[in-house]
Amino acid sequence: MNSNAMTLDLPVLLRGEPKSLHWGIEEVRARQVVFYLSIIVVGAGCFGAAMGCWRAPLQAAYTALKLPLAILLTTLGNALLNSLLAPLFGLNLRFQQTVLAVLLSGTIACAVLGAFSPLLLFMIWNTPTNVSQATSAAYNAVQVTEVLIIAFAGIAANIRLLQLLQHCSGQRASALKVLFGWLAGNLFLGSQLCWIMRPFIGTPDLPVQFFRPNAFHGNFYETVWSSLGRIFN
Amino acid sequence: MNDSNPPLIPPAINVTSAAVPLGESPEDRLPIYGIAAAMEAILRQPRRVMFQLRQSASGRLIWAMLLLTIVCSLIYGVVVGTFSGAQQLWAAPAKIALGMLACGVICLPSLYIFSCLSGSHARFVEVVGLVAGLLLMMTLLLIGFAPVAWIFSQSTESVVAMGVLHIVFWFIAAYFGLRFLALGFRHLSAQTNAGLNVWIVLFVLVCLQMTTALRPLVGTAETFLPREKKFFLTHWFDNLSKETPKRTNNTQASR
Repeated sequence: MNSNAMTLDLPVLLRGEPKSLHWGIEEVRARQVVFYLSIIVVGAGCFGAAMGCWRAPLQAAYTALKLPLAILLTTLGNALLNSLLAPLFGLNLRFQQTVLAVLLSGTIACAVLGAFSPLLLFMIWNTPTNVSQATSAAYNAVQVTEVLIIAFAGIAANIRLLQLLQHCSGQRASALKVLFGWLAGNLFLGSQLCWIMRPFIGTPDLPVQFFRPNAFHGNFYETVWSSLGRIFN
Repeated sequence: MNDSNPPLIPPAINVTSAAVPLGESPEDRLPIYGIAAAMEAILRQPRRVMFQLRQSASGRLIWAMLLLTIVCSLIYGVVVGTFSGAQQLWAAPAKIALGMLACGVICLPSLYIFSCLSGSHARFVEVVGLVAGLLLMMTLLLIGFAPVAWIFSQSTESVVAMGVLHIVFWFIAAYFGLRFLALGFRHLSAQTNAGLNVWIVLFVLVCLQMTTALRPLVGTAETFLPREKKFFLTHWFDNLSKETPKRTNNTQASR
């Protein structure tokens, strides 16, 4: 395979051809990194804009900035941990390779998100947006749809990441361990980052803001814990 | 050798078969020139359209199909508009043509993503061509139903009855359009059809919601587009529960 002539374009990424994906993480190529970053910014940005436009155009602009930022910050924040976990679980990847692998899976997820953003936008266009019309049912329907799309994008991206890891290690068991290790770390940090960066959709009766005033008060897990406490008390 | 034996007839290639590779039959390779040829090819030789979409110069065919889709939508829209007359004679065609194209544009990126995730090597332009073919097949069939729809629109006062009739025609047209798309998808060497099946559900939902988002298509209203946003099932049940058989001056029962 002539590595100079090869490029990793979007269809190749989505098809998840292991050899091509492996080529994509072999070494840092500026052009590829720019390509990954641009797909993440555009794909997640479009989906974020569709999410936020339910509340207001300004919220759409904020969420279009915040969603790609959350993905990139999670990748960067866990880069060191991910590179340490990989060899511990039997996969000898270099630091830059682990970063590229996670970035590559984020690229796939964001491409899927971007492709679904016209559908989400159409759904939101058909959902009551102003406070007088907004019912909790409409708000919940929007939330559920977004969660379903994000879950689908995440699953598609992680299946491709697993195929790549399996190709690198040659063993399904160690590939699975690495994947779940990385997923656990990314979910842990990603949840907190999204908590800090809220709102993404925007509650109808709260003002449009880039960050909530209490963004750095408490954390995601404390809130979940206290919510559970309220349910059981 | 007996000379009186009739010559053997070569086995016909099933137009809906995906087992035979595209281009195998010489008929598949015949170029499609012009709008009339595109219309005939999609009805009689869909494999020929699919083969041409794979060629590098498929742009003209795609444009021809889109142009035909717009013309057919406008014609069917006029028939829909004759039920109420007046401003609906131009509003219904405009909404149906725009709505059809909008549905295609909204669903196109997800179809491309599904095709890639299914392992297909299709180019984006091929997927665009398949969606254009789907829309053309649907609108051509709607044109076929237009005389029937017109007869009914002249003989009934019920907005709901006309709405149901158009929806039934739309479903029949969509079935054949989606059959074309599914066949084309199989020729894209996709390893699974799961993605396509999900996409078909999404496409049908988007189209049905579009009829509610652009209402009234049948009947009349004070405004060109609705002031209230509704889910299509809610809108249908609302109309069925308070049906008043008037073809005009009834904004509530408009569909």
